[in-house]
Amino acid sequence: MSRLIRSLLLVGVLGLASVAGLMAWPIGVEPPSALEELEGNVDRGAYLARASGCIACHSDFEAGGAPLAGGAPLETDFGTFYPPNLTTDPDHGMGAWTISDFARAVRQGVSPEGDPYYPTFTYPFYAGFTDQDIADLWAAFQTVPAVPEPSPEHEAGFPFDQRWGLKLWRAAYLSEPDTVPEAGRSEAWNRGKWLVRGAAHCGACHTDRNLAGARIASRIFAGNDSLPGGKSAPSILPADLQGGGWDVDSLAYALRTGITPEGDVFGGSMAEVVNYGTAFLSDADLAAMATYIMDNDLSEN
Amino acid sequence: MNARIWMTALVASSVGLTALAHSGATGVMKERMDAMGEMGDEMKRLAPMMRGQTEYDPDVVRNAADTMIGHAGAQMTELFPEGSNGEPSEALDTIWEDWEEFTALAEALRTTAEGMKLAADNGLAGLGDIPGGGMMGAGQGMMGTGQTMMGGNQPMMGAGQGMMGGAPTQMMTTEMLAEMPVNAGFMAVTQTCSACHQKFRAEEN
Repeated sequence: MSRLIRSLLLVGVLGLASVAGLMAWPIGVEPPSALEELEGNVDRGAYLARASGCIACHSDFEAGGAPLAGGAPLETDFGTFYPPNLTTDPDHGMGAWTISDFARAVRQGVSPEGDPYYPTFTYPFYAGFTDQDIADLWAAFQTVPAVPEPSPEHEAGFPFDQRWGLKLWRAAYLSEPDTVPEAGRSEAWNRGKWLVRGAAHCGACHTDRNLAGARIASRIFAGNDSLPGGKSAPSILPADLQGGGWDVDSLAYALRTGITPEGDVFGGSMAEVVNYGTAFLSDADLAAMATYIMDNDLSEN
Repeated sequence: MNARIWMTALVASSVGLTALAHSGATGVMKERMDAMGEMGDEMKRLAPMMRGQTEYDPDVVRNAADTMIGHAGAQMTELFPEGSNGEPSEALDTIWEDWEEFTALAEALRTTAEGMKLAADNGLAGLGDIPGGGMMGAGQGMMGTGQTMMGGNQPMMGAGQGMMGGAPTQMMTTEMLAEMPVNAGFMAVTQTCSACHQKFRAEEN
């Protein structure tokens, strides 16, 4: 055997071994068993689900779909992704899941089978949810009527259809959301930070992504021109918003109603965010989000 | 400087901005941009009033409603001949792909604006937008976006809430809005704008 062929074989074997290793690499950690003993609050969970966009993304109201029975497809550079059915249907939804499965899915982005989810699912923002948050959400999801509709398979082209590749993605890009309260800031500001940087995942759309589809930390909230479906999201950095005539009051009002300081009404994805999400939040939470968004030092990154 | 001069300056500058934003548009494209601009100006006047930040004036509501009614229905749709988009228009092809819904929403602008007009003398219900009030919750029942009555703080999908559908028939009629506090009509108009922008207008950068 020539040296060349031997080298190629070696590379091939090593490659296969790495892929096999990646495929076998377990991801996610077992949630605490105490989770099952927590009593969830349905109202609080439903509220958090609204704030987190579960309903906006996993329902296709436009096409007449039932709540959480599966969302409109997201067309990305990596393929077309279908937000799956999250109803209590045991075959097509989450009816057969345990709360631990749910916790791992939401906080870690790992399916009950141990597969990594695609980052179109905004789980990185939910990593800081407490066990009680999870129990509340779980309780709320139990009230969703079962809809026996299968979720279409994602249509990702090679190599993005290889889920083990996502493990590399996770290793390279996955980081905890910064929802940590800051000393010297008001309670409202810190609540706003928790919502904006966490649950409400504003950065999922308003932060630019790199070629691998990971958010670019230094460009946080500076806008994104390549959203699914060729859409775009403007900068929501304080200076840009102020320049556009926004203040805390008008921003909170827009998150409730969609009406901008210019008298325009949000369209596109932001209309969905408002109509199925933020419109349902309390005045205090909307004010908190606006307080944080209009006053932070993110642009200094 | 007195208030009038300030107002004049303000109006002049906003006219300038509008002209700038719409520069390059001609014909129907310009006509409909101007129509949208006029309605936006009315919204800008109405919003603080509906929130109790400026004094409530039923005449302002009726005038605003008339502006919207004047741009609703066929007056709106005839400004969108097939294929009349492209730079600098934000109109999406979906308008002609789903002409029926576009037409329905243009008509909904008329019925909701008429409802708001008839409700002008009813006045406001407490403070403008009331979360959890149900009646005015922004998530309320609107035209084709598939929502129906959902108050602010209700469980997201409790049985019997009727979140199904997507049929514009679920929207509130002019007669219903006429009997309600004026902010219900205002929110219904807003939801119509939103539903139409959501589906038929490109997002801005």
